[in-house]
Amino acid sequence: MTHTFKRGVHPNYMKAPEIPISVVTPPPQVIIPMAQHIGAPDKPLVAVGDYVKMGQKIGENPAPVSAPVHSSVSGKVVAVEPRPHPLGDMIMSVVIENDYQDTPCEDLQPLTEQELKDPEAILTRIREAGVVGMGGAMFPTAFKIRGGIGKVDKLVINGAECEPYLNGDHLTMLNFPEQLLKGIELVRIASGVEKAYYGIEVNKKDAIDLLNSLHPEKYGIEIVPEKVKYPQGAEKMQVKAVTGREVKPGEIPSGVGANVVSTRTCYAVYQACYEGKPVIERIVTVAGSAMNQTANALTRVGTPLGYLAEQCGGFAVTPRKIVLGGPMMGICATSFDAPTIKGTAGVLFFTEKEDKTVENPSCIRCGKCITVCPMNLEPVFMYLYYSKGDFDMMQKYHITDCFECGSCSFNCPARMPLTHAFKTAKLMFQAKAAKEKAAAEAAAAKEAK
Amino acid sequence: MAKNESSKIVLDVAYQPQVRTNMDTKRIMLNVMLALLPSLLAATYEFGFKPVLMVIVSMCSAVFYEWAYRRLLKKNSTIFDFSACLTGMLVAMTLPTSAPWWLPLIGNFFAIVIVKQLYGGLGKNFVNPALASRAFLIASYAGIMTTWAPPRAMGVDAVTMATPMSYLYTGQPMPEYFSYGNMFLGIMPGCFGEACKLALLLGGLYLIIRKIISWRIPVSYIGTVAILTFAFGHEGYDNFSWMMYNILSGALILAAFFMATDYATSPVTMPGQLLYGVGCGALTVLIRYFGSYPEGVTYSILIMNICTWAIDKAFRRHQFGVTKEDIAAEKAAKKAAKEAAK
Repeated sequence: MTHTFKRGVHPNYMKAPEIPISVVTPPPQVIIPMAQHIGAPDKPLVAVGDYVKMGQKIGENPAPVSAPVHSSVSGKVVAVEPRPHPLGDMIMSVVIENDYQDTPCEDLQPLTEQELKDPEAILTRIREAGVVGMGGAMFPTAFKIRGGIGKVDKLVINGAECEPYLNGDHLTMLNFPEQLLKGIELVRIASGVEKAYYGIEVNKKDAIDLLNSLHPEKYGIEIVPEKVKYPQGAEKMQVKAVTGREVKPGEIPSGVGANVVSTRTCYAVYQACYEGKPVIERIVTVAGSAMNQTANALTRVGTPLGYLAEQCGGFAVTPRKIVLGGPMMGICATSFDAPTIKGTAGVLFFTEKEDKTVENPSCIRCGKCITVCPMNLEPVFMYLYYSKGDFDMMQKYHITDCFECGSCSFNCPARMPLTHAFKTAKLMFQAKAAKEKAAAEAAAAKEAK
Repeated sequence: MAKNESSKIVLDVAYQPQVRTNMDTKRIMLNVMLALLPSLLAATYEFGFKPVLMVIVSMCSAVFYEWAYRRLLKKNSTIFDFSACLTGMLVAMTLPTSAPWWLPLIGNFFAIVIVKQLYGGLGKNFVNPALASRAFLIASYAGIMTTWAPPRAMGVDAVTMATPMSYLYTGQPMPEYFSYGNMFLGIMPGCFGEACKLALLLGGLYLIIRKIISWRIPVSYIGTVAILTFAFGHEGYDNFSWMMYNILSGALILAAFFMATDYATSPVTMPGQLLYGVGCGALTVLIRYFGSYPEGVTYSILIMNICTWAIDKAFRRHQFGVTKEDIAAEKAAKKAAKEAAK
């Protein structure tokens, strides 16, 4: 029996887990942005000229919704200045000249036997090691787990990896199964629950069999095989598939007593606690029609995208688009100089071949968007009211419930920019709410006078 | 790649998703035409090459009108989405074989220019262009549109003959040569596209398997006609044969798979599609029993086309995470608020 949710799409998966993990030589200069998580950006702890060790903390913010960042190489700081961030914008970054010594930093030691059973010690370590949601959302993991303590009775580990191209989770399961199970156990202990449910899509049958052969029940883990369908890995869909609970509109999974943590995050937790290693590298799938070959590359955080492509076989043709993450929810990078960050599961170099946009798209009202929306929305009408600028009707059609999985746009034969429109509309709603709030505050201040 | 080279490349930026399905508008239209091909082949077998000629003339004229209209109004050309091609094919396939070659020129002008383009083009028209044009032609050329040539396989030496539909409409007993088998294989007079039920079912099934149309509209449409005719029957027929004749005669099968499922003019919500199909079926039976034309299928679908918007509004679904209890609570709260206002 495989578990799943209703609707969704079946993209062309293009996965290549048979390609073994290759190690990318760290670049001569790494660029470490101070914002690699959702929440308050970090403040640099180092200055130009400082010598930093590999794994040394170089940025921090005391705010609860944040995570420190660490140097991924050892060497000299050559610049502390705004640099292109993969998600657009210029963000304060620390640039480190690599001395290729990889002198390790001894600040974080493996946790003791006792500490490995203490939720508080684990949570402190998770934060100290800069662990964030490495599925791509980059939400600080320690804050997420803390927020769920007492409320959450079902811990869901996300091993769906439903995005096309990406293989990082699959390869982690195959190459480090024991470490992964131990990492999940730590997250489970930190969350204060008896059992963790590990949802894995059945296209990773070898991984499911391997993990099952290692007696996951010893670690308080149950493997839940899931149907292969996008967006199986979305939080709400994962909770629905594994627990049968539906997260209410506008709420987060802990509202129904579930918390979702991704595979790579659990592995990072293992490394942080058992090895005393902060998040400074991850498996990045480098693929796309512009590349000579596909690579599953173990890449240091802060590796510039152009350098990464060169190290992974180089370009066959000039790329037209750089996509960070999977192609369904991935965001376009604007510069070859932007670095990979903690949340970068894949870097895809696309050409015209993948581009299927058309000029003057025209909705044919086929309703194929309705048949795939996992949130049960009606994109065809949402788009209609969006193009009219009718905010009331957009709200009536629950446009703010869209989590931009892209299924509707993917399935649209007319190539309407549906997800694009909904994302824009949500930003418009946010701006409108902020404006109204400011106006209300101004009115209140006036009255107070 | 050298650094100064990479800085010259202009990168595209787009919101997600970065990949899309292969099934686009063009492919859908081509697939529907492909699904109509068996029926056209069967018609060629029964009636000679006239049907093929009519389809070609009709398609060319439809594409010409589409091109000319968009060109005159300085709009982008849409002939390569092949929707005009498909409309042209459908217009031709609902004509009798004996119709003159120029009839599709008039029919397509009405379908493409008046019904489709004046309302904004593909996806914006509110009634099915091919059916609207058929309704227009019946009203304007009643004589031509009701003159039927017998198919070759019947071996009758006559220029015209009555269709099973006319027997059904007048309530006369069905002649023996209209057996279920003959009607299923299309050995009967009628519009050439609607004759061979086997070919149409094959095409319809193909569209359902390719997920181009959903099963809801054709199944609920044909099912409703079957249930109602079986339940009410007719004098001079036993209920079962009356039901079978009703399903096999006229344009019911063609329309249920290819006309009623037209995207722009049928509901997009799933329960809405079922209701729409049931509505089409009920109106078809009503018109066949009581109407002044034996044109149940055409008019029932046109009427339901107009109701599509309202049906879609009525069958809004609840977003993910909203349970039945939530809906009940919301309703109760609304009611309480209303009463409090009183």
